[in-house]
Amino acid sequence: MKRNEIIAVIAFIAATLGTIAGVLAIEGFRRNRLFTAELVARAPEYGNFYPQTLSVPAGEEVRLMIRNIDTVTHGFVVPDLGIAVPQIKAGEVKVITFTADRPGTYPFMCTVWCSARHLEMGGRLVVK
Amino acid sequence: MAEKEKLFGFIDLNWRLEITKIGLVRKLFKSRWFPLALLIFNLFIFVIILMSGFIGGYSSGNYNFGIMIVWILWWVLLMLMLVPGFSRAWCLMCPFPVFGDWFHRRRLYSVAPGKHRGLNLKWPKALKNMWLLNFGFLITTFFSGFFNVKPMATFVVLGSIIGLAFVIGLLFPKRTFCLYLCPVSGFIGLYSQFGMAEVRRKDPEICRNHRPKTCFVGNEKGHGCPWLLAPYDFNKNTYCGMCMECFKTCPHDNMAFNIRPPGVDLLVDSRREPKGLDEAWKAFIMLGIAMMFFLTFQGPWGFIKDMVRATTTGGYLKFVSFHAVFNLLLVPAFYGLFAFFSKLLSGDKEVPFKKVFINFAYTLIPLGLGVWIAFSIGIILPNGSYILHILSDPFAWGWNIFGTANFPWTPVLTGALGYLQGITMVVFYLFSIAYGLKLARRTFADETKARRGWIPVLAFLTVITVGFLWLFLF
Repeated sequence: MKRNEIIAVIAFIAATLGTIAGVLAIEGFRRNRLFTAELVARAPEYGNFYPQTLSVPAGEEVRLMIRNIDTVTHGFVVPDLGIAVPQIKAGEVKVITFTADRPGTYPFMCTVWCSARHLEMGGRLVVK
Repeated sequence: MAEKEKLFGFIDLNWRLEITKIGLVRKLFKSRWFPLALLIFNLFIFVIILMSGFIGGYSSGNYNFGIMIVWILWWVLLMLMLVPGFSRAWCLMCPFPVFGDWFHRRRLYSVAPGKHRGLNLKWPKALKNMWLLNFGFLITTFFSGFFNVKPMATFVVLGSIIGLAFVIGLLFPKRTFCLYLCPVSGFIGLYSQFGMAEVRRKDPEICRNHRPKTCFVGNEKGHGCPWLLAPYDFNKNTYCGMCMECFKTCPHDNMAFNIRPPGVDLLVDSRREPKGLDEAWKAFIMLGIAMMFFLTFQGPWGFIKDMVRATTTGGYLKFVSFHAVFNLLLVPAFYGLFAFFSKLLSGDKEVPFKKVFINFAYTLIPLGLGVWIAFSIGIILPNGSYILHILSDPFAWGWNIFGTANFPWTPVLTGALGYLQGITMVVFYLFSIAYGLKLARRTFADETKARRGWIPVLAFLTVITVGFLWLFLF
């Protein structure tokens, strides 16, 4: 009986605290393997790309996670670096990896006509 | 129940198939790991759901684990399978009250001797019914426009339920929260009267002679009924959480888990388990909410969606007001009109209007469940494929655990959706009719009065069914 009680408590802790710790540890490990940046996409009326300025290291492989938290489709392009994600559907997360060799500041923008202020939807990628 | 009473003229309502006659099943039910292991697994799932709402989940609904699992998968499983097939089986594995249970019992697995911890205050007698559940669920639906698009809303509502369950557990005994406050428990309880499974005692004589009543007070093998029922004498699923403790505590193996014809409990009306206005209102509210949900989430009317999703404050307030008045007053009033004509047409001057009103309200249970099943089909067929995505990427962090993160949205059988919903409605309408006439016979003094009194209620059920068929098909 006592052994089963201990097993039950361990299973309970594993299901709750263990799950939380495990998930955070796995994600932490994933993010440490590559330089990871996160970009949130929303139409300009609702906040635009966030952050507006994204900094990444030059010559290093970068993982960029673009989350579309909007209810319309967006796109993402950095024309000077040849990076393009033609379609990020509502609620979707797109993950791309790239290496930017040349330091500098490059504009990025949305490529899908997402709202009346679509043309304002953009930001800057700083490679340093 | 009358001897050899039949449903549709051929299904014997006294027919039972006792699953616990199978040795392995009885052994499982008597094990303290059941349903604890199931509950711990569901706790694990709900931790992921809460995490996806809080830290992983600011993506919109369709790509969020919490929203997809709770409002698409769980809801559909509940309405399509668990409630109609296994009655209150969800309650046996629901992880919400586990923290309170552990606090009360001082043990997670074993049974500690002595009194339960906590203040163990008495729940007010006036609230020992479904009224708080009715209002609680209705108020929850005021926010329905956010639950399926805002992961944080799902986190808040589930977090609040778990928190409240624990706080109530500190103050009141056993599963008081589940019985009288959980917003989910009310409709599961109501519709489980139609469910095809039951926990019941086998031989009443054995129970009568067994003085210690261990199923109620508990023993070293299990807890006294956490749902505060007397397992040795109840005939209705509404308040039985199927926790299986009575299988563990009965020294005579006198409890049974039965498969039975659907809807048997609709005919139960005893001093211990009376039919009541609270359950009648639950049936009205559930029917009204189903209609509102269909108009909002599956209908083509954008302006209703805008109101429900609070695009403007004024629109949202209009929705809340109308939703409350519609469910609490208009649906019951419309039904009440037909119940009034029923009494009038029956010519039975002895029967009180209240009895007619309450008894026939139970005909809405099969119909209401049918509407919810139809609504659930309308959720799962177009949206089910998103589940493959969120299983692989539960926190919207770009994971691909099972390789299905990029599985495209694939609606299934949506061309036949209206027809499937329509067929479902008709099937459950037939159940409502079958039980309606039986309820009429229990309401009025003789067969002639029962048949005459039944006509207006039949008309009401037909109007509602035709209304929903129009919504589903046109």
